[in-house]
Amino acid sequence: MNNPHHLNPTSLKSRFTTRFLRALTKIRAQKPISSSSPTEIFRRYRRIKVAADKSMAYSVRSRRIWSKAMLWKLRSRSYRRQDPCSGRRSGKTNQAIMKKSSNENTTTRREDGVGFVEEADELRQLVPGGETMNLCNLLDETAHYIKCLTTQVQVMKKIADFYSF
Amino acid sequence: MQPCSREMQAMNSLLSPTQQIPLQDLQPNGNSGTHQAQIHNPQFDPTSSHDDFLDQMLSTLPSCSWSDLKSPWDPPKSDETPPSNPDNNVGFHYDEILASKLRQHQINGGGGGTTAAMKMMMQQQMMLPGRPIAAAGGGGLTMPLHNDIVDGSSFKSPNQQGGEGSVQALYNGFGAGSLHGTNNQSPNQPQHFHHPQGGNMQTQSFGATAGTVMNQSQASGSTTGGAPAQPKQRVRARRGQATDPHSIAERLRRERIAERMKALQELVPNANKTDKASMLDEIIDYVKFLQLQVKVLSMSRLGGAAAVAPLVADMPSEVGDCVQTTAGGGGSLQRNSNGNQPSANNDSLTVTEHQVAKLMEEDMGSAMQYLQGKGLCLMPISLATAISTATCHSRNPMINKGSSSNHPLLQSNGDGPSSPSMSVLTVQSATMGNGGLDGSAKDAASVSKP
Repeated sequence: MNNPHHLNPTSLKSRFTTRFLRALTKIRAQKPISSSSPTEIFRRYRRIKVAADKSMAYSVRSRRIWSKAMLWKLRSRSYRRQDPCSGRRSGKTNQAIMKKSSNENTTTRREDGVGFVEEADELRQLVPGGETMNLCNLLDETAHYIKCLTTQVQVMKKIADFYSF
Repeated sequence: MQPCSREMQAMNSLLSPTQQIPLQDLQPNGNSGTHQAQIHNPQFDPTSSHDDFLDQMLSTLPSCSWSDLKSPWDPPKSDETPPSNPDNNVGFHYDEILASKLRQHQINGGGGGTTAAMKMMMQQQMMLPGRPIAAAGGGGLTMPLHNDIVDGSSFKSPNQQGGEGSVQALYNGFGAGSLHGTNNQSPNQPQHFHHPQGGNMQTQSFGATAGTVMNQSQASGSTTGGAPAQPKQRVRARRGQATDPHSIAERLRRERIAERMKALQELVPNANKTDKASMLDEIIDYVKFLQLQVKVLSMSRLGGAAAVAPLVADMPSEVGDCVQTTAGGGGSLQRNSNGNQPSANNDSLTVTEHQVAKLMEEDMGSAMQYLQGKGLCLMPISLATAISTATCHSRNPMINKGSSSNHPLLQSNGDGPSSPSMSVLTVQSATMGNGGLDGSAKDAASVSKP
């Protein structure tokens, strides 16, 4: 039987889908849908988006710089929510890791010689963890990030379609 | 053809004294791990003059001709069971021998640094994907070229670092050829001696770097015959190219970046831009668009049509510059909630707008509730644009509101253009334009159906 959604059980798409669905069911179990105040809804939306990003980052593990950075960001944010002190601590370790990776890629701030500094900087802001990459790695990470984002959007669209009827 | 003929000369001049060397090093090929020692201990004597060195070489090697080099390629390849590494070693071994020989010809005692360069090159070569080159031809030609590369590096002996860089950089190109030369088996064997053709292929594939190397080879060809009193510091480069190791490294970097840009071009739709800068802009806009889509989709999953989050102005991270109301929910929502939403016609929309504007003046929360009751939502313009372009849904009118100045400005969104980047830009520019028109209050309502 041909499963149109998951062609390969170990592909990025299926990994992301399973994780995301699990997270969604968890969110649904937590809160009733009847909350209608804007802030509540916003919070729910936020939670879902975070779940989506997190499941995507977890599906990629730490194989990519951007996924590592995203996981750190999410973790530090969740720590900050729970406990301000631990948030600061994790923030510090986050800084340390960023600094370390920036030391490894020491060519981040120099003029690339190809003249794409502004665009490169903008791209660095978009791609998580992009500040510590030189242009070459940045383009590589961007390609993988785009691939993962398209997968994420595809899966989410399909889920939304599925549950809307 | 000139470069090839020069290569031939260089090769003949270089290899006639040293042609037996590779054979000797290739034959006892089982001890690939110790070939380094082989190079250095018996043959590498930095203090000897080149005459003594030559005598050493000739004495230690059995005499054989250049043509016999063909055969040694086979046994090493067949003998070694692990396919890649010993072949790599063969190729490197080969080049390293010649490199060390030439080094001694020209410099006394600069060899240590270059040895390190060799090691680094070896490592780099292992990691490089390599270039598609006629393998044995490439391998055969790599020898003299490598010699010249080493000449180049040894020429720059005062600038050891640069020499290593250049050797590395050139080796990345050429040594990769030899790498593949050793790895590729019999089909390339017959080409081993087709030097002119191999030279052609090499020069064509390597372009500028080959040109530089050939210039160097000519220089070294003339100098390796006797003891060069001084290494030639300035080799005349081809037009437009440079022998500066930094520029070579820069070129490699640029090539890598170009490769990645090509890969990105395939991922991004509407990638028909030839200009790199505009391509980057496209990429940036596409990434923004995708992130936006994720946001929108995560909103749409909040239990269907009527419960879409009205994003109020006090949540700046999600709202962006302006907010926007869309009749009937977002684009994807419209798809999902076909039956739930009454399709608003123009008149009711205008009325709704006025109502909401009035409510917004008083209390944001009530305005939101009003909207919710109608099944409308407030969302950033960029979000709505993303929805409209993502789903290609152009039937519903879009109402824009600018809340930056607390005076709701109603402005038409126009039809969503085909590419997401364009839509974002137009909306943003329109938003900016309207943001400036502060004073006109609710009367400045202009709604148009796309």
